[in-house]
Amino acid sequence: MKSTTVDRLPLVTLVGPPNSGKTTLFNLLSGKNYKTVNYPGSTVEYSTSKIHTKYKLNALLLDSPGIVSLNPNSPDEEISVNSLYDHPEYGSPTLIITTVDANQLSRHLLLSKQLIDAGFKVIVAVTMIDVLQKRGFKVNEVILSKELGCDVVSIDCRHGLGIEKFLKVLELELDTTKNNVNSNPVKNHASRNKDDLLNIFKIVESIEQKSIIPIDSLTQDQLNVINSKLNILNPKLKYGAKQPDELTLKIDKILLNRNWGLIYFFLIMSFVFTSIFWFAQPFMTMVDEFFGFLASSSNQLLGDNWYGNLISDGLISGVGSVMVFLPQILMLFLILGLLEDTGYLARGAMLIDKPLSKIGLNGRSFVPMLSGFACAIPAMLAARTIQNKRERFLTIFIIPLMSCSARLPVYVLLIAFLTPSDKAWIAGFALASIYIFSILTSILVAAIINKFRKKIIKTEDNSSFILELPIYRLPKISNVLRNTYDSARQYIMRAGPIIFALSIIIWAMTYFPNHTPEFNKTGLSQEQIFQIEKSERLSGSYAASMGKLIQPFMTPIGMDWRVGVSLITAFAAREVFVSSLALIFKVTDESNLQSSILDAMRSAKIGDTDKQLFTPSTIIGLIVFFIFALQCISTVAVSKKETGSWRIPILQIIIFTSTAYILTFLTVNGLRLFGMS
Amino acid sequence: MKKASQLSFGERGVIADIDPSHPSSSRIIEIGFTPGQEIQLVNSSIFNDPIAFSIRGTLIAVRKNEADCIILS
Repeated sequence: MKSTTVDRLPLVTLVGPPNSGKTTLFNLLSGKNYKTVNYPGSTVEYSTSKIHTKYKLNALLLDSPGIVSLNPNSPDEEISVNSLYDHPEYGSPTLIITTVDANQLSRHLLLSKQLIDAGFKVIVAVTMIDVLQKRGFKVNEVILSKELGCDVVSIDCRHGLGIEKFLKVLELELDTTKNNVNSNPVKNHASRNKDDLLNIFKIVESIEQKSIIPIDSLTQDQLNVINSKLNILNPKLKYGAKQPDELTLKIDKILLNRNWGLIYFFLIMSFVFTSIFWFAQPFMTMVDEFFGFLASSSNQLLGDNWYGNLISDGLISGVGSVMVFLPQILMLFLILGLLEDTGYLARGAMLIDKPLSKIGLNGRSFVPMLSGFACAIPAMLAARTIQNKRERFLTIFIIPLMSCSARLPVYVLLIAFLTPSDKAWIAGFALASIYIFSILTSILVAAIINKFRKKIIKTEDNSSFILELPIYRLPKISNVLRNTYDSARQYIMRAGPIIFALSIIIWAMTYFPNHTPEFNKTGLSQEQIFQIEKSERLSGSYAASMGKLIQPFMTPIGMDWRVGVSLITAFAAREVFVSSLALIFKVTDESNLQSSILDAMRSAKIGDTDKQLFTPSTIIGLIVFFIFALQCISTVAVSKKETGSWRIPILQIIIFTSTAYILTFLTVNGLRLFGMS
Repeated sequence: MKKASQLSFGERGVIADIDPSHPSSSRIIEIGFTPGQEIQLVNSSIFNDPIAFSIRGTLIAVRKNEADCIILS
């Protein structure tokens, strides 16, 4: 709802070009940590916050995606520009803070100038002054303020310097604007006309020339030395700040090397994915033992009755079997976050723009695709930075094929079934192969869809790749850790309730009607009687009667209704597959959840026969199924929202899920043909 | 008439004009490629496309066909 009352909270919107320190300033002012990354255009969703109470300023703060100018060039920028004028929820801003990198004044002031010309009330925050200082220069705020006709404050966001002064200016501005309500910005003021743009640049450049001055200790002679060292051809440039960061150039010489660049790229990517497996292992064992302990002690405490069964079998085993994989998910978010923060991702996008453009994608598809390994939902949102609609839709189309973190629990369990537990490297290798296979698959699918692009995605517009390569910097560990924590929390909040609810439902369906089976007990041991009772109860349960309906679909792929029920529940969230298996095969107590699921799987038989249910061929078949199938309702919903119609999500469901079934059928039966059990 | 896309590795040049008929020309200007600016080709992808220029104190990667609209003096 749009608030129209005059006494609403004043709205302060942060606007700035990518990499201008906008989100860092947002974090500083809001006190609440929101994702700030070193990849151009990373803020795809708005984040809002009240200004931190310690600053005693009563105002709402709104962060916006980075934009280069007021002329939108992608859906991301269009949303950003339109909501600047009139935000769908908050209306038009009382005040705009626009961030400019002190080292990039002539580029970044373009936007500030456009904002001022459009009639917004603007405060310019000059960031990264520490970097400029190292080069021997500083920004004269008084001159800059006079030239621009608005308030200017320098802030060193990373170290929090200059924030007091900034707050004072902000408070003063908010006070003066309170009385004359809103500024009256003129929409579509900014012109795309070449001459107009060049004109603004001329003005902005002269402002820059006047307002950047050498730090007093530097004489004009020293300046000349610097300039001659830097071998600057253009006599108009009077200072050395125009050179890019030297260290960045040196690192790029290695990482973007013509011959080795791509090899480093693949090495970095392989490191990312293998480390997820290695580093998380000890933590996984800890979580596993913790839930195993919980299950067995609650079982002892509550006894063998329905509620004891619900707590230990239903809830603890169900939730625990998925929580085991939290360390791996944390590790994935952590490593992706570190990589994002260094500035390498923009280079990755540049390196593979060419091959991606061959299959109808864009270098900018790289980051969304990479995020897809964590979760398809933020990945689809990240695709908004792709200007070309066809490339964006194609990126969204293949994102569900990226091996998201929800598949990780499934793969780890299935791989553990196939590989010897004492040789972790085989499991690591197998997981890496699945990841590589899913990447190759997505490339193939993109290429095929691209062939039919005219039928599927009808628009055709300019394909472009213009991307700033930010300077390399050490990731700010505290930021990355907090982002990891945030992402993991979101993951649990999203998946947790579903897993919790489904655990209860599946438990109930497998436990009830819970009749006591009658059979001939003579000559059987206590343990055998217990086992037979258990399996008889399960086959008389509601889950079994439902499962019999899907049996015809499961038999061709060598599986039975129990796997079928687990697969159906996996459509709510893929990782539920693991907890479903745990529940259906009645995994209880024991000190180690994962190994007891594996034991139960190894002893499972098809129906009344002696045939093993889980064999290497069916397990590989299941892996193939999970690689392809679109089993996530939230992904479908986001795909619909981001593409604006049901067309793409429905195609995704049909194509991916039928391919999954057919390929699983071919895999299982093909492997059996070649003699695998 | 030399174009930015024809610079060799490490070579510098000064922008003379931007070809306005190219669909990406306004974004090229907005990101900082304006007449009078000195650019240097500092990086390129292994496929020689996109290429990255040093301009106005930063690095910008653009596709080769987009660098075609940057005319050097």
